[in-house]
Amino acid sequence: MPDDATTFDVAGCLQRVRQRDQVAARELVGYLYPLVIRIVRSHLPRRVAEEDLAQEVFLKMFSRLEQYQGAVPFPHWVSRIAVTTCIDHLRAQKRRPELRWADLSENEAEMLDAVMTSESDVAANDALAAQELVQKLLAQLKPDDQLVLRLLDLEQKSIAEIAALTGWSHTLVKVRAFRARRKLQKLFVELQRKERA
Amino acid sequence: MNPKDPRHPWQRLVAGARRAREDRDDAAPYGFATRVAALALAAEGCGASVLERLAFRALGVACLLALASIAFNYSAPTRATAAEETVGTDDPMAVLLDV
Repeated sequence: MPDDATTFDVAGCLQRVRQRDQVAARELVGYLYPLVIRIVRSHLPRRVAEEDLAQEVFLKMFSRLEQYQGAVPFPHWVSRIAVTTCIDHLRAQKRRPELRWADLSENEAEMLDAVMTSESDVAANDALAAQELVQKLLAQLKPDDQLVLRLLDLEQKSIAEIAALTGWSHTLVKVRAFRARRKLQKLFVELQRKERA
Repeated sequence: MNPKDPRHPWQRLVAGARRAREDRDDAAPYGFATRVAALALAAEGCGASVLERLAFRALGVACLLALASIAFNYSAPTRATAAEETVGTDDPMAVLLDV
């Protein structure tokens, strides 16, 4: 959420946008860009430019503006458009490259080996490498599974927040999380087997 | 071990990943907002004119149908009148009385 939410008059801006005020439309994009780009960067599909995806999200937002009834805060409504747009792109990418130890950098391979063989935590200065490794592991899963684990484990959102963001029921979120974790467990077992081999 | 368990490799990895700070600038690139706003409002404008064009076409078709309907119904009474006159000249009484 943008930090200056209390100072930006969203309702007034929306009213002017509906009257085709281009200045208001520009202000709205500038206000919401940080929110949209954070979501896009978290769920960016392969070979898709973040700016192109952000543009697509905003164009969808404008085309559906008449559907916004004010039941939820406007940034929440836009977040949902951003998440569903990203997941549509992820679903369009049917083939997921298999993760091989050879594809990992030296640092990533060492880190993966360390977390699998010991119970030590990831060092603070390895945070970026851990982030890259997490993205590569998530990329092995189906788009819906990626999304639920990213939101639940990486962004630490609650089941209710994920349900609001995705439009899924609470039960569906829990079922998807359970299935995604089961697949992730199989992935770790497979990686361990390959490492020994 | 369940991936939900805090000791699971996955949970330790994501805990480490969460510590990574997002240092990338999240302000809109120069010109992005202007371009998107222009595209969005142009798309809305095109949408409205499409509806207008369809409405005008529908009006034109309706007018044509109305004219065709008038023309068809006008020709019917004309034939009926001509038929009545033909019957009138064949009436023997009319011929006799020279009406």
